[in-house]
Amino acid sequence: MKYTSFLLAAACSLLIAPLCAVAADVKVIANNSVSANSISAGDLKDVFLLDKDSIGGSHVEPVLQNAGATHDAFLKAYLGKPNSVLQAFYRSLVFTGKASMPKVTAADAEAVAYVAKTKGAIGYVSAGASSEGVKTLEVK
Amino acid sequence: MRLVIGRYMAAAALAALSFSPALRAQDFKIGSRPVQVHGFASQGYLYSNQNNYLTMYTSHGSPAFTEGSLNLSMPVTDKFRIAAQGYDRKMGSIDDFRPSLDFAYGDFKVARWLGFRGGKVKTVMGLYNDTQDMAFLYPWALLPQGVYPTDLRTTFIAHTGGDVYGRVSLKKAGKLEYTFYGGLRSYDDREGYYAYTQSLSLKITSISGRIIGGDLRWLPVNGLTLGVSRADLTQDRAVSSAIGTITQSTKMNRPWVGYADYARGKWGASFEYRDMNDIKTIRIPLGTPKDQDKSTKPWFASASYRATPKLQLGVYHSSVTVTAPANPKDTASNHIYDEVGSARYDINRFWDVKAEGHFIEGYGDTLQAQGFYSNYNPQGLKPRTNLLMLRATFKF
Repeated sequence: MKYTSFLLAAACSLLIAPLCAVAADVKVIANNSVSANSISAGDLKDVFLLDKDSIGGSHVEPVLQNAGATHDAFLKAYLGKPNSVLQAFYRSLVFTGKASMPKVTAADAEAVAYVAKTKGAIGYVSAGASSEGVKTLEVK
Repeated sequence: MRLVIGRYMAAAALAALSFSPALRAQDFKIGSRPVQVHGFASQGYLYSNQNNYLTMYTSHGSPAFTEGSLNLSMPVTDKFRIAAQGYDRKMGSIDDFRPSLDFAYGDFKVARWLGFRGGKVKTVMGLYNDTQDMAFLYPWALLPQGVYPTDLRTTFIAHTGGDVYGRVSLKKAGKLEYTFYGGLRSYDDREGYYAYTQSLSLKITSISGRIIGGDLRWLPVNGLTLGVSRADLTQDRAVSSAIGTITQSTKMNRPWVGYADYARGKWGASFEYRDMNDIKTIRIPLGTPKDQDKSTKPWFASASYRATPKLQLGVYHSSVTVTAPANPKDTASNHIYDEVGSARYDINRFWDVKAEGHFIEGYGDTLQAQGFYSNYNPQGLKPRTNLLMLRATFKF
């Protein structure tokens, strides 16, 4: 019985490990106007899929990076969609008038700078990036 | 011929170039509120071995397939936004570069579970009705024509009226999205109804109708969508003829739609079935009113695979069967089956190109707008058509 449990735990760890590794590569940042210090993975996904525009009573808006390893890691860990599918999803909303295209920045430094100056902005940067002027949200 | 092709290519290139400055300057502000500008321009080329298709002389090769749109949207407040889109196309003799207002509406979102839209609003029905002209969203150059006939685009794509919509969380069972709507239907006097009426040497003098309907879609897990749509439509048409005015009104037109879409990793699959029941009452001068069954049962099934980040491959089968064709003895007029293989290559985030082969059997009812028009096929319609379509699209 113990042996089976151990095997199951080991198998689960192997399956989950890539996701954990990917999530660990990215940190979620927010403008200091956002009152929350943490966000659930479900709420984070809803914010970036334009289905939720407030967290803890604060209005929020997503900020994406246009490409790169951090962007890919974020999509894989939290949105579960490849970039092509995500872009098609945004365009389907824009060209029916249902939403605006989220802000897109180049890399970590530009993402941090934009989030720092934009009320309600939520973005992501690589785990090692400087996050001066913004707060880091814990993803639960 | 070269001159005509050159003219279309020049128009497409000009459209793309004129949009280029907007690539990096597509946002501006009114007061403190951001206004976004987006658009697309698309150019197609079609070549068929047999029948001419969609009012284009495709059997000679035709570049008469150009479309584009320009769209503006602005959040006025955190809960209220406005959006509008202009649309223009030429597809054979259809639309002929006459710009139209695709949609223009205000959207008040009270909460996630309740919102209202008012104005000219795109109609949510089935998987792609409201996005059917956005070829850049799909692997296909041409959506399954049995379900989304592009020659009747204006008739189904939007209504002038209102929507009530929202999204409800079902906890572990996923999410449920709903849209209920009602309003007046849109018509364009250079689209399919007019084209096939002309093929009978008749002329539509008035046409109007309304639509009431709803759409429910369930998203149980990431990547899976299951949905149903239901609508009640009317259409009143008056046609001038040598014997006087013929009128046609709807006795019963209540289509229902069932659909599914699944995307996982590099793979995607979709299915949609429609029961387009449609009984019309025809009144001719000095004659007794007569009912006509215009019902069809279209469906499609598709699969796609992203072979590389830039290359996507796809296949679909599209089918439409006609319940009561005008000439029951003509076995090619009671259906259109279309087997399609497609390749899409994304050059960059702004440009994509597609190549698509269609193997079409049947030509549908000549008394309905189904892509094959007798006046564009004076040699007589043939039961099989092979069609190649190339398409390039620029979007921003």
